Formats: sequence, structure tokens, C-alpha cells
Amino acid sequence: MQWLKFAFLNTLRNRRRSVVTLTIAAMGTAAMLLAAGFAEFTYESLSESAARNAGHLIVARSEFVEKEEDVPMQYGIQNYAALRKTLLADAEVRYLLPHIQFSGLISNGDKSVVMMGTGIDPDSEFLVKGPFLKITAGGVLSSTRTGAPQVMLGEGLAKSLNAHPGSSLTLLASTSENSLNAVDVEVKGIFSTGIPDYDKRSIYTDIDTAQKVLLSDRISQVGIYLASMELSDTARPRIEKLAGNGFTVQNWQDKAFFYRSVRDLYNRIFGGLGGIIALIVLFVIGNAMSMAVIERTREIGTLRALGTAPAQLTRVFSMEGAILGGLGAVLGGASALLISIFLIFAGIQMPPAPGYSTGYPLQVAINPIIYLIVIALIVALSTLCAMLVSRRSARKPIVEALGHV
Amino acid sequence: MKTPSPVIRLQGMSKTYRMGEVRVHALIEASLAVAPGELLALTGPSGSGKSTLLNLAGLIDTPDAGRYLLDGRDVSQLDEHARTLLRRDAIGFIFQGFNLVPVMTVADNVDYPLFLAGVDAPMRKQRVAEILEKVGLSEQARRRPDALSGGQRQRVAVARALIKRPRLVIADEPTANLDSHTADQIITLIHDLCQVEGTACLVATHDERMTTRCDRIVSMRDGCILADGLDTPHVAHATAA
Repeated sequence: MQWLKFAFLNTLRNRRRSVVTLTIAAMGTAAMLLAAGFAEFTYESLSESAARNAGHLIVARSEFVEKEEDVPMQYGIQNYAALRKTLLADAEVRYLLPHIQFSGLISNGDKSVVMMGTGIDPDSEFLVKGPFLKITAGGVLSSTRTGAPQVMLGEGLAKSLNAHPGSSLTLLASTSENSLNAVDVEVKGIFSTGIPDYDKRSIYTDIDTAQKVLLSDRISQVGIYLASMELSDTARPRIEKLAGNGFTVQNWQDKAFFYRSVRDLYNRIFGGLGGIIALIVLFVIGNAMSMAVIERTREIGTLRALGTAPAQLTRVFSMEGAILGGLGAVLGGASALLISIFLIFAGIQMPPAPGYSTGYPLQVAINPIIYLIVIALIVALSTLCAMLVSRRSARKPIVEALGHV
Repeated sequence: MKTPSPVIRLQGMSKTYRMGEVRVHALIEASLAVAPGELLALTGPSGSGKSTLLNLAGLIDTPDAGRYLLDGRDVSQLDEHARTLLRRDAIGFIFQGFNLVPVMTVADNVDYPLFLAGVDAPMRKQRVAEILEKVGLSEQARRRPDALSGGQRQRVAVARALIKRPRLVIADEPTANLDSHTADQIITLIHDLCQVEGTACLVATHDERMTTRCDRIVSMRDGCILADGLDTPHVAHATAA
């Protein structure tokens, strides 16, 4: 305790230098936390979006995952009703997202455009998608429709076909029997995913309509939406067991190519940035401690003469580094927290990412574990730096230290 | 009457420094003994070897040759750790420039050697109060050194050197930066405290006021002891090496 008091008093010797050191440590910590928080928020958003699109776990026949189909639905799931009953037996499964993936043409009579269709269960699909699907006109599909088969069009596709809610269109696709089939549909709504290339081609329709187009009673895959994303890894083996032989269960990350790419890129960018910031903080603290050590060389000699061991002196300097780094880190953490809270309410928008048509909110995740890691890192580096800088001076011959001018 | 055993006994101590290509013989076969309570003045011009002798006696430097007995124990070959412990427990230092720690209060500066020695807090508090009373600085206990006069600072340094009741005090020009009146007070203080505690005191000084109050004077020149106060008339109780 006495050593800590001595170390604290030493940090007050040159207050201006201590304030500068502390401020830079605080700024470095805040920068690291904000960068890490921004990356974390991006990862969370992308992972949530990926999971809400495909499910936390995706069950498909193994051939569907491993091979290319010769005809649509060749490797589809035959008896979805039975599989559904089996999967819903797991307590952590909240929703099932059956999907039929197909492609073909969509026509308004005058113009035909290539489309990529997804047959869905409207009730669970739109409940899970929630805010991750923006409806720009009309409404969403319903499982209780009574009239003509319905579709929802991507914004770009609707524009291309000059279609509006209520418009009649025709879906044309290859069937599972390797023939062509056409079904007349009505536009229920128009959506935007924020990815123009995707919105130019994609449509949603219900499972029945998709099966009617493909002349098949199969589905492509089932997405499983769990109570939370963290359960994915633990639920996977159970779901594999429930699904049985002939099925493959994939994690949402296996299919989230964009998420993985962004994560890899951001990890490199922000990792490098964090490294540079840590180096700057280290350099500043090292410089401040070096100056303190040089200024106090004579005092080091005096304390050594009085019987202070070199290790005790190194400990005091290390504590000084820890105090400066620690106070700076806590101050930086508090600043980062305030900025993060401000951004939640400020509603600042980032420009659209490459390939996207809409921007996204500038927000920074507040992750206590990241805060603890960064603060601990700054304290540890500051302590280590001070220790290394002072080690040599603490072992300097006493006569030499006392004679220092 | 039996002569008391010397606190320190230096026998044929030599020290050579290398300054570039030149070897400087700072101390040449110096032999000396100091008795308990004895105040011994080392005099001589700059470069005569006074400081080297003090450094060796204070265990802050190591000799090239010779023996050093502290309370009868040969300490000339001790490693750094053992020398640190011995300095902590048995040797007090008074420096010309006071060398107080500026961020510590007077009381904390004086307390530091006891804290290092691991004395418990209530005992330390009591001893700090006692010695500050003796040096007349009780009122200044909570002050920082920069709020004190030069004489007061040197009294703090004396208190710091003597609080652990060392066997030996090393004082390097303790009155050099002080006016006559203050110097007298400091000399009296060192003299009285060393006598009371039976502490041997080795003082390097040019100050005549100091030498006249010492029990014995040793003159040095060119690294050699020229004359030992054992042979001088005003020596009270010297002990031969």
C-alpha cells in the first residue's frame, strides 16, 4: 500500500506530463474500444441478418449440400411434415423456415425477366425477418390466402416489370419432371433488401405456389430459428441426431459468405489499427516513464543507498505506469461508453456499403468483455513498458546514480 | 578499561577507476577503524579519495583489494543483495544536497528506512515522532521538503539517517550548503545523536567548524591516508586500525 501511495505521488511530480500521458492513453483506449465496438456492431447486424434469412441452423438432404441438382428439387426433402414434427420436438427450436429455391422467368405479358424465387412459409418467415425486410409497397404474403397465388417482388424487379401490388404476372420455371410450367400470380407486395442486385431478381412466394410451379411436393431445405444465436453450436448435434441419416445440418456461418468476408476484412483492418494505437500508447507511456526515470536517477541512487532493492524500485515505476495507463484506460472506456450511448440516440447514418443501396446506422456495440480486455491490455502494456524502461536504471551502480546531474 | 570493538575496520582497501585509457587510483591501501559513538572527519582536497572511502564504507561501491569488517563481519565480498540488506539495516546516509524525496512529507521521508526494514506501522509512527521531536521538526512533519529551509532539510536527512539506529552513519559534506549558525546546529545534532546511540560516524568535510567538533580527523591526499587523528592532540578516543 505504501509503495502504491509512493507511486501515485510520483505521478503528480510533473502533472502536465502525466496529464498528457493519461490523455493519450485515454484517447487510445477510446479509439480501440470504438473501433472494436463498431466492428462488433457490424458483425452482430450481419450475423442477425444472415440468421434471420436462412435460420441459425439449416437442415437439408446431404446430396443437396454436396451435389448439383440435374432437375429442380432432385435432392429436396420429401416428407417435410414429418421432419417438421421431429424438429419442433426440440425445446430450443422456435421457428422453422422451410425454403424452396427455384429460378426461371417472370413475365408481365410484354416483358419477361430472369428471377430467383424462394418459396416460404409466410407466417414464420416474416415473423423472423422482422425489421430485416423492408416492405416498400403492398403487404406481406399470408398463409391463409384464398384467391390467386401471390408473390412479393424485389424493388428492382417490380420496377423492371412495371408491377405494383395487385398486378398480375406469370411465373415460368423448369419443373422437377424436366418440363416447363407456368403459373399466374398476383403481386402482393414489394420489398427491398438493400442489395440492388438481389432486388432486381428475387421474388418470394408461399410453399404451395412454389411446389405448384415446380410440380413437386418437396422442399429444398429447412432453416431452424433458435431461441438465441449462442445456442447454435450446442443445438447442432441434437438437431443432427433428430434429423437422422441422410441429412446435413449446417450452421448459419457456413452459408453467410458476406458475413465471413466482412469479418475477415474488418478483423484485419481494425486489428492493425488497434495494434498501431497500442504502439502509440506504449510509446507515449514509455517516453514519459523514460523521462521520469532519467529525472529521478539521483533519487534512485539515494533510495538504493538507503537499502531499497532494485526490484522494489522497478515495482514502484511499474505501478506508476499502471496508474497512468489504468486511469487513462478507465477514462477512455468511459468516453467510449458515452460516445456509444450518444450514437444510439443520434441516428447518424453511414453511407451505403459497396453493393448496397441503403446506408446503415452508425452504432457502436457496448460489449463489457471487450471493455475489460482493452482496459486490461492497456494497463498490462503500460505496466510492462514502465518496468522495462526502469529496470536498467534501478540496477545502475549507486555511485554513478548519485553522481547523475 | 577495555577498548570498545570498532564498528568498522578497513584494512588495505584500494580502489581504481578507469577513465577512458587512464587508470585512476582513487584509494590506495587505506586502513582505518571507527569506534562506536566516534565522529571521524575525513579531510583533504578534491580527488583525495574521501568520497571513495565513504562509498566503500557505506557499501555503495566495492573495493578492488582489502578487507572491510563491519561489526567484526567481513563484508568486502558480499553480493549486491546482501549489501543492500546491510545498508538497509546498519548504515545511515547524510548527503550534501539533502537528497530527500520531494513527493514525500517530512514524516514519510524519515519513516522510509523503517518501512524498508519492515517495522510495523505503530512502532514506526512512534519512532518518527520521537526523532522529529529530537531534531525539532515535529511541527513540520506533514510538510513537504520544498517548504523547508536548507537547515531544516538537513535535519530531516539526519533524522532519516539515524531513525533506524544504524551502526554507521556516512555523511558527505553535511554542512557544505548551510550557513554558519545552521551548520553548527547540524554538527551538534549529528554529534549528540551518534554519541547517544553509539553510532560510528564517518564525515567527509572541508568545514573547519565540523572538524573541530569531531573526535578524530583523518587527512587524505592522492588516495592515501596522510595522517590519522590518532596522532593528533585533540583526539578523544580513537581506535587504531
